[in-house]
Amino acid sequence: MKIMTPLADQYLDRFEADLNTLPGGKREAVRRLRKSGLDIFSGLDFPDRKNEAWRFTNLAGLTKGTDAEATVTEEATSIPRDALKTPHVMTFINGRFSASDSRLGDLPEGVSLTSLHAELETGNDDLVKQIKPKSGALVALNTAFMEDGFVLQVAEGVTLDAPVLIDFVSTNEKGRDARHMRNIVLLGAGATLTLLEQHTSRHGHRYFSNPRTDVTLAEGARLNHYKLQDESLAAFHLAELDCEITKGAVYENFSLSLGGKLSRNELTTRIVGAGGLSILNGAYLMRGEQHSDTTTLTRHLVPENDSRQVYKGVLDDSAYGVFQGKIHIAEDAQKVSGDQLSRALLLSDRATVAVKPELEIFADDVKCSHGASSGELDEDALFYLQSRGIDALTARKMLIDAFLTDVINEISNEAVREYFSDIATRWLDKV
Amino acid sequence: MLEIKDLHAEIGGKEILKGITLSIKAGEIHAVMGPNGAGKSTLSYVLAGRAGYNVTKGTVTYKGEDLLALSPDERAAKGIFLAFQYPVEIPGVASATFLKTAYNAQRKYRGEPEVDAMEFLKLIREKTKELDIKDDMLKRAVNVGFSGGEKKRNEVLQMALLEPDFILLDETDSGLDIDALKIAADGVNKLRSPNRAGLVITHYQRLLDYIVPDFVHVLADGKIVKSGDKTLAYELEEKGYTGMTDTAGSAQSVQL
Repeated sequence: MKIMTPLADQYLDRFEADLNTLPGGKREAVRRLRKSGLDIFSGLDFPDRKNEAWRFTNLAGLTKGTDAEATVTEEATSIPRDALKTPHVMTFINGRFSASDSRLGDLPEGVSLTSLHAELETGNDDLVKQIKPKSGALVALNTAFMEDGFVLQVAEGVTLDAPVLIDFVSTNEKGRDARHMRNIVLLGAGATLTLLEQHTSRHGHRYFSNPRTDVTLAEGARLNHYKLQDESLAAFHLAELDCEITKGAVYENFSLSLGGKLSRNELTTRIVGAGGLSILNGAYLMRGEQHSDTTTLTRHLVPENDSRQVYKGVLDDSAYGVFQGKIHIAEDAQKVSGDQLSRALLLSDRATVAVKPELEIFADDVKCSHGASSGELDEDALFYLQSRGIDALTARKMLIDAFLTDVINEISNEAVREYFSDIATRWLDKV
Repeated sequence: MLEIKDLHAEIGGKEILKGITLSIKAGEIHAVMGPNGAGKSTLSYVLAGRAGYNVTKGTVTYKGEDLLALSPDERAAKGIFLAFQYPVEIPGVASATFLKTAYNAQRKYRGEPEVDAMEFLKLIREKTKELDIKDDMLKRAVNVGFSGGEKKRNEVLQMALLEPDFILLDETDSGLDIDALKIAADGVNKLRSPNRAGLVITHYQRLLDYIVPDFVHVLADGKIVKSGDKTLAYELEEKGYTGMTDTAGSAQSVQL
């Protein structure tokens, strides 16, 4: 028998008991789904560095077993609550929906935002059938142990202007050191919506967050999907997202990552219709001993569609950044364009970035580009600013800010753009 | 205003300046001319305070103060302005933001009140109008995509805004056509006053037709080998540096 990591063993041991207490414990369909997830997970275990996709990110600190009492003294970066003004807020505390911290009353007709917990307990079977265990270890584990999450369904042609904020908050609650959130987003044809998902912590404690989000965009739909990852500096955040983009649909994602001891943001977009557009952008700002991994896979499966992505990282102290981006173009997917850019700024000579861009092209009439660079602040520019009277620290901040500005400006929603820009500035103040 | 005494400086362990002595009084413009590799740029960087240049011997006194003890931004706030040979492109930083930050940083250092966005806009509009610079340049990132002439214009704009007491021109003429050269020279000449001084570093004489110096010094192999009035520049133009530095080798530097 395969030797599992201690954390995997813990999950296998408790599954039978949890099966009855987790939501949907009385529904055979949900129980079967969880079991299929566990079967896959038990054959895989957590990925280790022998796995090519995890070469640069070592989960040993998580999987060797938890020392739940271990906390860091430093408070997690504090983002002002309610800085983003929006009437639509759904809050989860330690992985559980909190109705009293949410504002869902003002959602217009055609927009449904419910908790996965409720859907698993009493929702209709069609939605449960949409949930698949998939093949990866993390999504399989999530399928076995999913407890809550958001289910957002937007009817055909409905447009919602104000962003919907999903607020995942962590506090130091005993016995709640893991969250397997399962989120589902379904946009009907021509529907348009802006979604901001934020993961923050009120204490600098250790926990494991394993959110999985599945998005389906029907013809001509547009989702602006923004994510702020500001988990506790002792937390592990391993997020996966899968998005299906049909004909003429647009998926715009921007992820701003500043938190976590170790975090991975894995994004897969599948373009299955002509005129589909996948936009994946992001910035990661890391210091201390933080580790941040951004892994993307963009799959062009049919002809005539586009994708682009720009990721920028700022790494201080001994921080470690990873960017792995793959653009896959299927055999018949002609007249496709895919652009990718990764840039990292190293503020310390102990900071490291590992970059792995990949193009996997099976069609011949395509336009693809990828670029990757990493380096330090431009000494000439620093001296130029200083020679005009600007002190060294301010000059550094101006240059880092300039480095980030152009990618943050890619955020098409103005309120979120300003919100993220403000958060980046706060981070910079500590440089 | 500026006293350089026996200045020795090295970069990466290699000695570039080998004992420069130069005294510049308020109201004077001095020119330093010299062939490539003589140490001209090193001299301007050492005076502006660029990191990586080690002063191994000698002193520089500016307005009675030890200049070498100051950081580049402090030197700027105290009135030293280096016009760059190659103004640096800074993507992502709007010219207007850069200018306002620099202007206010200097004021703050000197204990003067900072100006707000409206006041600054008014001030900078006056300057751009005076220099015939399009406002659109202020919105663009600093020097990014600027032509050689535009970059020099931008240097002149900064000079006009910051109103320095001591202007250092580092080969400002390189790569410039005659019109751009005139703009740069006009910018300097407008600031000329009995209270200000300047050091013009150049390879060619032609800039000195527009910024007429009071004194000309020839720099060769890290030392000043000859000093004179503006006619020395014409002499250099005629004879070339080889003729000049050869004969000057034995003459040593001429004290003014």
